[in-house]
Amino acid sequence: MFEVRFHGRGGQGAVMAAQTLAEAAVNEGNYAVAFPFFGAERRGAPVLAFTRIDEKKIYSKTQVYAPDCVVVLDDSLLDTIDVVSGLKPNGTVIINSKEKPDDIDLGVSVRTASVNATSIALEILKAPITNTAILGAFAKATGIIRIESLEASIKQKFGEKLGEKVGERNAFAARTAYEKTIIGTSRSVKKLEAKKQWLPKYQDYPIGAALIEGKTEAGLIGPGSFIENKVSGWATYRPLRDKEKCTMCLLCWFYCPEGTIIRISDRGDLMTNYDYCKGCGVCANECPVDAIKMVRARA
Amino acid sequence: MITIKELSDDNLFTAGHTACPGCGVAMSIRNAIRVLGKDTAVYVPASCAVVFGTTFPYGAWKVPFFHTAFENTGACLTGMQAAFEKKGKKVTVVGFAGDGGTYDIGLQSMSGAAERNEDIIYICLDNEAYMNTGIQRSGGTPFGAWTTTTPVGSNIQGNQRFKKNLGDIVVAHEIPYYATLSIGHPLDFIRKVEKAKNMKGFRFLHMFTPCIPGWKMDPAKTVEVTKRAVESGMWTLYEVENGEKKVTYKPGKMKSVKDYLNMQGRFRHMSDEDINKLQMWVCRKWNLHYHEKGAPDICEVAPPVEHHAITEEHREMHGP
Repeated sequence: MFEVRFHGRGGQGAVMAAQTLAEAAVNEGNYAVAFPFFGAERRGAPVLAFTRIDEKKIYSKTQVYAPDCVVVLDDSLLDTIDVVSGLKPNGTVIINSKEKPDDIDLGVSVRTASVNATSIALEILKAPITNTAILGAFAKATGIIRIESLEASIKQKFGEKLGEKVGERNAFAARTAYEKTIIGTSRSVKKLEAKKQWLPKYQDYPIGAALIEGKTEAGLIGPGSFIENKVSGWATYRPLRDKEKCTMCLLCWFYCPEGTIIRISDRGDLMTNYDYCKGCGVCANECPVDAIKMVRARA
Repeated sequence: MITIKELSDDNLFTAGHTACPGCGVAMSIRNAIRVLGKDTAVYVPASCAVVFGTTFPYGAWKVPFFHTAFENTGACLTGMQAAFEKKGKKVTVVGFAGDGGTYDIGLQSMSGAAERNEDIIYICLDNEAYMNTGIQRSGGTPFGAWTTTTPVGSNIQGNQRFKKNLGDIVVAHEIPYYATLSIGHPLDFIRKVEKAKNMKGFRFLHMFTPCIPGWKMDPAKTVEVTKRAVESGMWTLYEVENGEKKVTYKPGKMKSVKDYLNMQGRFRHMSDEDINKLQMWVCRKWNLHYHEKGAPDICEVAPPVEHHAITEEHREMHGP
């Protein structure tokens, strides 16, 4: 049995990728299952999806804990999630990254393939939806599936849902990625540490179970503690403000849903804290004097 | 009246929350709490706002925050207000419920609190479906919209019911203040929140909050889409103060509802016939709100498609 785990962000199509791969495998005469890890429906939040492929019937219904292959649709996930967790020693990691495999630090030395799927998706699909491109890289790196059958099932699945033209463009994205994929071995420099968690005992709670502002080993807790949660990894684009053009109308500051744009009244100026920017682009869209431009966040 | 410049630099809803990029709910919450200030206690029922604003043990709120079940926003706010009153504290008690938690599930509780005229602010964040659980239809979903429970089939395409008129239901409780707000109209937004804050009794603020994944649209267009909703008549900005209704923003010439629908993937499938049906509904609403004495009839429905004059070429192709 060949087990695959997809790491992506909501909106990149990890679930569709898992399903498309399973369908392609079935069309080749295999058995396959695909399913997502269910959570709140939020675009940009880390998501998981799984595919199992076998020549025999598949009875296993659990999540994939020891994958043969890990597919990472967004390399910003590498900073927050241990993607190689449980990976078999002879397994493969496929990463959407502009780096070469030999420059990617996974903490372990494993067979790694990389392709700049975001650029391919932006160029061909005009949107940072990287699922089909990364499937092309999957076909190249693992050889489990032929690129032709993958193209066929992409055309069918995406064509059915979004129209024939979209299906064809997605298949072309997969083919382009297939040709551009580089295979190598990852570096093992960084140390993988389990993220510390705050696990309180019942005595630690005040009466009424109210959570008050506090500091623990795992960081801040309680009111306002989200300030430690850096969400910049979600962004494909980020805003650049031209101070010369800016008239300080404060509309961007008012509209920003994240608190990325910070106003400093004493100095009469605005500051941008990219740690919290998810790159929605509302500020650039609403700026009345076009002083804000969106640029690629990790180019 | 507060202007944008006079709002406080700090925010009581901190950065680092996990809402989708371009979230209309996050925008509305941040700006509402800017105006309401720190002497506020917040209740949020089950909704996106509770998922992205508080994930145990973390939270984005810097004001007292409470959450229990889905259907009891009105009852919880009543209890919180009673407790603060008993303790002799002057606190603005605010509830942020979604459209599901107001139009459908929380309606009885809201109605009870409104009828007793409790001294609370009830804010409905209307994103026109149950977005948190994966885009299911609610009473607030407009005609024609795709959701997972109103799918697009060959016979029936999208939601077949028109948006419930919640405004009139709430106003029928004869409460001191009801207002509709849009994040695309900042001064109107700030003025209404401030006005509600300084009043007594049951105040209801109805906010129009676009949802990026649920409406299937570009995250950069959150504000633009609310502006178009108002310009086309899909959303009306008005307030009812002690029974006196006043339209607070009157758009110019009515724009076609198509301008608004084209921005969103959830309406992509709509046929011309359905769009016309929705346009007629919008027109009735528009006339109801803006048709005052002596006001010109600004509502214009697209004229029926006329047959083209028969040309020589046409005759050759189709005969006389």
